[in-house]
Amino acid sequence: MRIVVAEDLYLLRDGMVRLIEAYGHQVVATATTGPETLDALLKWRPDVSVVDVRMPPTQSDEGLRAALAARREVPGLPILILSQHVEQLYARELLADGAGGVGYLLKDSVFDADQFIDALIRVAAAGTAMDPAVIAKLLSSGSSTRRLGGLTEREHSVLGLMAEGLSNQAIGQRLFLSESAISKYTTSMFGKLGIADDDGSNRRVLAVLTYLNEP
Amino acid sequence: MRQWVASACVGFGRACVVVVVAMLVPAVWAAAVVLWFWWWGGNLWSGIAPFIWACIGTLALSRPVCRMVRSLVAKWTGTVIPAGYRQAGPVTQMATGHWWNGYSYERTSRDARMDLRWRTRWRDPAVWRDLRFMAIVPITAGVICAIPPAGVVAAVLGLSQPALPARLVGVLGLAVAIGGAPYAWRSVEPVAVRFLRASPATALADRVDELTAQRADTTVAQAAEIRRIERDLHDGAQARLVALGLSLATAEKLMETNPDQAKALMREARAGAATSLTELRELVKGINPPVLSERGLVDAVRALALDSPLEATVSTDLQLRLDPPIESAVYFGVAELLTNAVKHAHATRARISIARDDTGIVVDVEDDGRGGAGMRPDGGLAGLRRRLAVFDGALEITSPAGGPTCVRMVVPCESL
Repeated sequence: MRIVVAEDLYLLRDGMVRLIEAYGHQVVATATTGPETLDALLKWRPDVSVVDVRMPPTQSDEGLRAALAARREVPGLPILILSQHVEQLYARELLADGAGGVGYLLKDSVFDADQFIDALIRVAAAGTAMDPAVIAKLLSSGSSTRRLGGLTEREHSVLGLMAEGLSNQAIGQRLFLSESAISKYTTSMFGKLGIADDDGSNRRVLAVLTYLNEP
Repeated sequence: MRQWVASACVGFGRACVVVVVAMLVPAVWAAAVVLWFWWWGGNLWSGIAPFIWACIGTLALSRPVCRMVRSLVAKWTGTVIPAGYRQAGPVTQMATGHWWNGYSYERTSRDARMDLRWRTRWRDPAVWRDLRFMAIVPITAGVICAIPPAGVVAAVLGLSQPALPARLVGVLGLAVAIGGAPYAWRSVEPVAVRFLRASPATALADRVDELTAQRADTTVAQAAEIRRIERDLHDGAQARLVALGLSLATAEKLMETNPDQAKALMREARAGAATSLTELRELVKGINPPVLSERGLVDAVRALALDSPLEATVSTDLQLRLDPPIESAVYFGVAELLTNAVKHAHATRARISIARDDTGIVVDVEDDGRGGAGMRPDGGLAGLRRRLAVFDGALEITSPAGGPTCVRMVVPCESL
């Protein structure tokens, strides 16, 4: 995969580039400021990019804004946002266009290199990779509890893992269940929520997230 | 017409009240003079005693009369005139068992307090202001307010006489009484506002006291906050980093002899690093939430509402950046109010609105909980009020038992 890395701290950027290259992917460009990030994203149109939220010149949410701007230009441009903290607010902004190909993870997630690269691949394939903390808060917020009231506890946990972006197979491994059992849960769950259950798992995830995202 | 009659009746009553209050001190002096002539026949030396009595009477009456005028003006016109009297300070018991009030030792706390009250009263510049008012009010508001009652007296006396001039005077008096009744009492307000308010020097001194107390509060709060951060870092991240270093050093040692154990140690180290990151993140959030510096107050409050277990809505059409300290104070204020709504009021919904008027920013937080929130001296709300007071901000709470609770924070500020 061709990847763009946008991160202003040298040590982190360098480590990330080395990690990605160690897994046999190619880093085509790096960026250290918000405007540079936007330029690189639009110029290279990478298969996926890793973008830090806080970057110069203002040290506010430059990276996030660059990512959102790039996705407005190129809808569905796969971007994985990395941050020192996760906010539901930012997650909702990223998911708002419903186009998929977005990830939002804590920087800690690079500690588990395999999972991090998995997340990158998932985002590149127009899937999602959401931080568990964000998903947990999204599912437990006031309006969500009301909407999800009819779900059983098991269905609730399947929904949570699915919203993070995991496939049925991966969810089965986490919950020590067979893939077919998971697909049974998802069918009943989508029935209860009234969401069309089509085959592409990414579209289902997006449907769920959009559903929860509505005010 | 009916309205005018009502206002004339009310005005007449008020004018009479003002006359009675304003003429109390002159009445004391008149009584002294009458006593002097009647008892001692106007002898100059024997006039000393009634003179002293009248002085004492004036002193004793000045404060109650001023207080009465202030409360009358506040009740009738809504104009609140701050009294600006000096307050007696606290008294403390010393190791000897005696009480110290800042000036002298007394045997009992009651004596010490009494002594202090008298000293404060004697040194209070407001005493002179009250005495001056006692001299001014009878010849201004007192005289004007006396017109309607005097008119009524003239009418009663004049109309009871058969002679024509006397009857004319009586009709004139009636006209003056009726015409002046709705307006005469109003003269008391400007007089009171002009002569009864605290002098600029006293107002300034009060402000300095207030600011000094606030500065002390802020310093104490800041020191406590820094201590908390230091303790959290010391017991949390620092300790974990030491453990991390230890694990890595041991793993390095074991790498060749026992690679399996080395791997286990490395895994442990990784988990430790993740935990200390989580702790640091929480700590940073408590000091200055990143979303606040990244997005400003409005979006930070939105993020707060999203994270709250309540169904919280934020309504505002502002996108403003304020001074960072003010943003931070308001943000933590909203956070505390939402926490209270969950913890104490057992609310399920909350409504937050952020607006600005010409004086500053106005934040309302309303929940559907069980209400009954009050201001306890050491409580969270009092702390919040103190933190807002640093910016001359105010906190208003309406929380009847049974709910709902409405809290309004107002902070004067300029938008950046």
